This record gives sequence, structure tokens and C-alpha cells, in this order.
Amino acid sequence: MKVLVPVKRVIDYNVKVRVKADQTGVELANVKMSMNPFDEIAIEEAIRMKEAGKAEEVIAVSIGPQQAQETIRTALAMGADRGVHVLHDGVVEPLAVAKMLKAIVEKEGPTVVILGKQAIDDDCNQTGQMLSALLGWSQATFASKIEVGDGELTVTREVDAGLETIKVKTPAIVTTDLRLNEPRYASLPNIMKAKKKPIEAMSPADLGVDPTPRLATLKVVEPAKRAGGVKVADVAELVSKLKNEAKVI
Amino acid sequence: MDFSIDHETRLLLETVKRFVKTELQPLEADLDRSGTLPPETARAIFEKSKALGLYGMNMPAKLGGAGLNAVDMCLVEEQTGQTSDILVRRAFGNVYEVLLACDGARIARWLLPAVTGERVCSIAITEPGAGSDAAGIKTQARRDGDGWRLNGQKHFISDGEFSDFFVVSAVTDPDAGARGISLFLVDKQTPGFTVGRNQPMMGLRGTSHVELFFEDVALGSENLLGAEGRGLRLALETLGRIRLAHIGARSVGMAARILGLMTEHARARRQFGQPIGDFQMIQSMLADSAIEINAARLMILNTAWEIDQGLDPREKISMAKTYGAETYCRVADRAVQLFGGLGYCQDLPIERFYRDSRITRIYDGTSEIHRTVIARGLLKDGPDFIARH
Ligand SMILES: Cc1cc2nc3c(=O)[nH]c(=O)nc-3n(C[C@H](O)[C@H](O)[C@H](O)COP(=O)(O)OP(=O)(O)OC[C@H]3O[C@@H](n4cnc5c(N)ncnc54)[C@H](O)[C@@H]3O)c2cc1C
Ligand SMILES: Cc1cc2nc3c(=O)[nH]c(=O)nc-3n(C[C@H](O)[C@H](O)[C@H](O)COP(=O)(O)OP(=O)(O)OC[C@H]3O[C@@H](n4cnc5c(N)ncnc54)[C@H](O)[C@@H]3O)c2cc1C
Repeated sequence: MKVLVPVKRVIDYNVKVRVKADQTGVELANVKMSMNPFDEIAIEEAIRMKEAGKAEEVIAVSIGPQQAQETIRTALAMGADRGVHVLHDGVVEPLAVAKMLKAIVEKEGPTVVILGKQAIDDDCNQTGQMLSALLGWSQATFASKIEVGDGELTVTREVDAGLETIKVKTPAIVTTDLRLNEPRYASLPNIMKAKKKPIEAMSPADLGVDPTPRLATLKVVEPAKRAGGVKVADVAELVSKLKNEAKVI
Repeated sequence: MDFSIDHETRLLLETVKRFVKTELQPLEADLDRSGTLPPETARAIFEKSKALGLYGMNMPAKLGGAGLNAVDMCLVEEQTGQTSDILVRRAFGNVYEVLLACDGARIARWLLPAVTGERVCSIAITEPGAGSDAAGIKTQARRDGDGWRLNGQKHFISDGEFSDFFVVSAVTDPDAGARGISLFLVDKQTPGFTVGRNQPMMGLRGTSHVELFFEDVALGSENLLGAEGRGLRLALETLGRIRLAHIGARSVGMAARILGLMTEHARARRQFGQPIGDFQMIQSMLADSAIEINAARLMILNTAWEIDQGLDPREKISMAKTYGAETYCRVADRAVQLFGGLGYCQDLPIERFYRDSRITRIYDGTSEIHRTVIARGLLKDGPDFIARH
């Protein structure tokens, strides 16, 4: 089986994000960019499937600017076999991403698509679910364990109440949670090998998708600074403050 | 001038950085307290690093190394340098480039096993009577039929307890001065060769520093490394790049790690109702450290680049070694000051960094000797080498 893994180039999780002076977004100039951590987990899981003899090929896909090729190369250095790069500058919303992925899935014919449960830049948590709906495939989100069976996957999911184990028929969409695995280091020999692995380039138009955003960002601001706490004398004062100052009850 | 770092190198730096942080740094405190790295731990980090292809990265690819050029090697050493000496040795190997002078049967016996990490090598030049004056050694190798007889002693030889063989400098022609010194490959088991006491040091806990004694040690012709009488020259030619990487780049790496801790402390520690980072005298410690680290770093990378261009930047290597080491020492000293009592206390690693930093101004040529090299170059050829174009 083939496993397709979309990987997104995002601001590195260690970076202290700053809002741009004109409030149109966050500062991306001179900022370190990396692969979305949940996507690293997805790549790791796909490579483990390959190492366990359950998958034959791992394909990494990225939609983004020229530098998104680096994100693909990172996946290739971890052990993915080849890459697909959809060149696009500017914002792409989850629905457009899901539509492009659908077109790629139809072309490549993977049995499983493993995505991060969300990207740490926009935190949307939508792409996997949308892709599942567009393809009419089963979905298993927030996976903390995946077992590959015959024509099915057994997936343990992290849900509010604890762990839920479900079986889904393949082809299927899986999204990764943090505890699924610990992504590996790219070894030096694999970094060298990655240079020679192929990356196929295409455009949203090649996939028949219009990536124009449907949402307009009005403004981006820093979260309000936390104000210090106060001590209240009794329940009456608490209720009064909640009602009149915080206006939450 | 293009200062960008290509993506493959950045990936490698990420891997090395993560390895140092997750596999090595957590071992530092115990190692410093106990003074020894348990053999099973040493084995484990060696094997993990080896599996990632991180051992002997400076060695040519055709021998099984990574074939990194000097610039990339210095960038990598900025990362490896951010942990204790012995951990760097076990994980990444200090595979000395002087071994590339091996030819014929010497390749299989000494060079290749050193590249794979199967055998570890130390360099033995210093003697009780000859440190800075490396030409003033007394250890002698006399011709004996086809081979040699080695007599004499060495001291302060790093990692000597662990090492399997040694590159030893010895006088082969007492009348020829610096041109009468040769290098020999000496295996530890050779009869007449004994390893003496581990000489306790101020820092670098976990690395042994030993005395070596040679009593009529019988060596064959194959034990000679490089041409007879060319030993000092060979050592000088090949230790320069190592000096730049091992002392210069590692010092800069460790200084940067320390500056990171200083910055955090300056933000978090409050006195007189405000973070100490608000005080100008603390700010000046931080700013001076950043300026010096940046300067040292650029000096090292520029020197490495000249090496990669096939130039012979010996004065610049001396500058980078000296300035890198002295920067590391000044930053470690400021860190003790900025942390106050905590900087002096063994609960934090700051006092260890201070102890470990101090040797970098002494070994691999003292700061004074390197200044002598720089000044001699200036007096002979003028200052044009500083801004070559
Ligand atoms: C921890 C440690 C590890 C070491 N590892 C090794 C190793 O692996 N292999 C090895 O061979 N050696 C090793 N050494 C030895 C090291 O290289 C020497 O200590 C160093 O070269 C200085 O020599 P010395 O100690 O004999 O000092 P000396 O040469 O006696 O110097 C004493 C002082 O005199 C100054 N001085 C000497 N000559 C001059 C001059 N011409 N002009 C101005 N000032 C001068 C020096 O700068 C220094 O300040 C190690 C030493 C230590 C402490
Ligand atoms: C070995 C040892 C023995 C000691 N013995 C005793 C003892 O017997 N009794 C006792 O009471 N204490 C003792 N101390 C505590 C010692 O006096 C304090 O460590 C010292 O006063 C510094 O305080 P601190 O460590 O909290 O550093 P901090 O006050 O946190 O200082 C951190 C850094 O900020 C700087 N700084 C702070 N305020 C300012 C400012 N306004 N402007 C500019 N810079 C500033 C400091 O100079 C320092 O560089 C001892 C400490 C040690 C390490």
C-alpha cells in the first residue's frame, strides 16, 4: 500500500511569534520555519509502516511557496520516498488544501492518508476531516496508536473522556495526535540520500483547484495581557464581581 | 558575500543539536560529580550516534566519514561543543586528521578503525620538559634494524586511558632540531609501553589525562607516520583545522549556550522589584558576550572558508583559536557573576562551565604562543592576510 502524508511549512514551534505592525498577520521575515510537528509525527508513522513491511511507499506532499520544498526534503531525509510540491504563494485555507489533496489522492491512489490533526500556525483542525468527506473515506482523527490490519486500521484515539479504539475500513484518513510516536532524527546518510529523491512540482491549476481564500482577515492582534488576580472576601462579593465586572453570569 | 547555510547542512545541524540536547546534556551533571562515564553509557551513546552517521564527520567520505568541508565542520562543532568533552569524544569522535598521512598497510591497521570508531587515538606530544616548545622533546626513537626503539615519556595526554593507540612525537635525529622529529603510531599493548597516572584536572571531568612511559619499546618500520624528520611539520599542518574546529568552534558553541542561560536568568531573576536584566550593568554583560561570540564565530567561519579555498590561513587559525577560547572564558566568567551566588554553586552547571572553559586558553597552543604566531606573521609579511582579496 501507498501512504500519502501532507506536510506543512509553519513557523518553528520555538519561535516567539510577533504580530506585524500593520496588524495584517504575524511576522514571517527572519523567522525560523519548520515542518508542522504533527506532520513530523505523521511522516514518522508512515515510515514505521514501511519499515514494518505494511507499506511500500511513502509520499510527502506540501502546498506552499518555493521554500516548502525544504519541508518536503526534510520528510525525504527522515525516510519518505518521494515528494509532490504544489507551488502556491499566500494563504491557502483548509478546504482548498483538502480539494488539492483529493486531486493528488486520485492521481496517486494511496490506501491511507496520514495528516497532522492541526497545523500549529492556524490551528484549524479541519483538513483531514474535509478530505475524508470529499473522498467519502472513513476517518480516524487524533490517533495515538495505529495498527494496520487487512483492509482495515485499528486506531486508538485521544478523546476528552480518555482513549477510544475504533476500526476503520481502508482507504482511510488518519490524523495524528502528539503521543502517537516520537519522530526520528534525520540521519546523515539519509540527509545525503534525500538530495537525490524526486520531487514532482505542480500548481493548484494543474489540480483544477482555485486556492483563492474565502475568508478575509480583518485584523490580527496580540492576546490581551493577563491582569493580576484579586482576593475576594466572600461568596457574595465573588458573585457580584462575576456579574458586574466580568459579566460572565 | 553569501552567509546562507544550505538546507542539507541545516538538517544535519538540527540532528546534531537535538542529539546533544537530548542524549548528551542530561548526562553532564552526573559525569562531572562522579568523574567517570560508565563504559556502558559510553558504548550506548557511541552506537546511537554511529547509527545516525555522526561519528568522524570530518573524515573523507571515501573512508566512511561524512566528508564535511571545514565550514560545515565548524558549524557542526558549534553544536557538538555544547556539551562535556568526554561526551563529544565518545559520541562524535575526535578523529585526528594527522591519521590521513597513513598509507599502505597503515590504512587498515590505524586509519580505518579510527574512522569507524573501532579504535580510538590520542595525540601525544607534550612532555614534562616540553609543552609550548614542542621541538624541545626528549623522547627518542633510535633506528634498530628495520625498525625503531622508543624511549621517553609524555604527560597530559587526553583520553589516554581509553585510547587504543597513540600518535607519539619523538626525536629521530638529535642534531637536526625541529627537523629531526618524527611521528609514530604506537599501540597500547606494545611491550615496554605503559600508561601512568590519570592526572587530575580542574575541569573536563570524565576525560582522562595521563602520563605515558616508553621503555625500549620495539617498533617496526610501519609504525612511522609520514616521512622521517617531518613529524612536527605534519602535526602543524594537520592540527590547524582540528584546532579551529575543536577549540574555536566548540568554544563559540558553549559560549552561546551559556549566553542563553544568562539571558533567561536576567529575565527571570528579580531584585529590587525588577528583573536584573533591567540593570544596565547586567545588560552590558549580555551585550558584550553577544558581540564577542558573534565576532569569534565570524572569525572562525571565515578562516574555515579560507581552508576550503585551499589557502593556508595559519595566523587566522591562531586568531580564531585564541579569540574563541578567550571569549568562552570571558562569557563563562560573566555568567558566574550574573548568576550571583548560584553561579558559584554546584547546583547549577555555571561553575562547571567556568572550570571547563579555562583549559581552552592553554591546550592546543597557549594564547601566548598563538599571539607569537600572529605577530611573527605580521612582522614578516605585514597585515595583508587579515583582509585577503
Ligand atoms: C587538560 C589538558 C589536556 C591536554 N591534552 C594534551 C594532549 O592530548 N596531547 C598533548 O600532547 N598535550 C596535551 N596537553 C598539553 C598542552 O598542550 C600543554 O599544556 C600546552 O601546550 C602548554 O604547555 P605546558 O603546560 O608545558 O606549559 P609551558 O609551555 O610551560 O607554558 C607555561 C607558560 O609560559 C608561556 N610561554 C611558553 N613559551 C612562551 C613563549 N615563547 N612566549 C611567551 N610565553 C610563553 C605559556 O604561554 C604559558 O603561559 C594537555 C594539557 C591539559 C592541561
Ligand atoms: C560561597 C557563598 C557563601 C555565602 N555566604 C553567605 C553567608 O554566610 N550569609 C549570607 O547571608 N549570605 C551568604 N551568601 C550569599 C551572598 O552574599 C549572595 O550570593 C550575594 O549577596 C549575591 O546575591 P545573589 O546570589 O542572590 O545574587 P543576585 O542578587 O540575584 O544578583 C545577580 C546579579 O545581579 C546583579 N545585580 C543585582 N542587583 C543589581 C543592581 N541593582 N544593579 C546592578 N546589578 C545588580 C548582581 O551584581 C549579580 O551580578 C553566600 C554565597 C556564596 C556563593
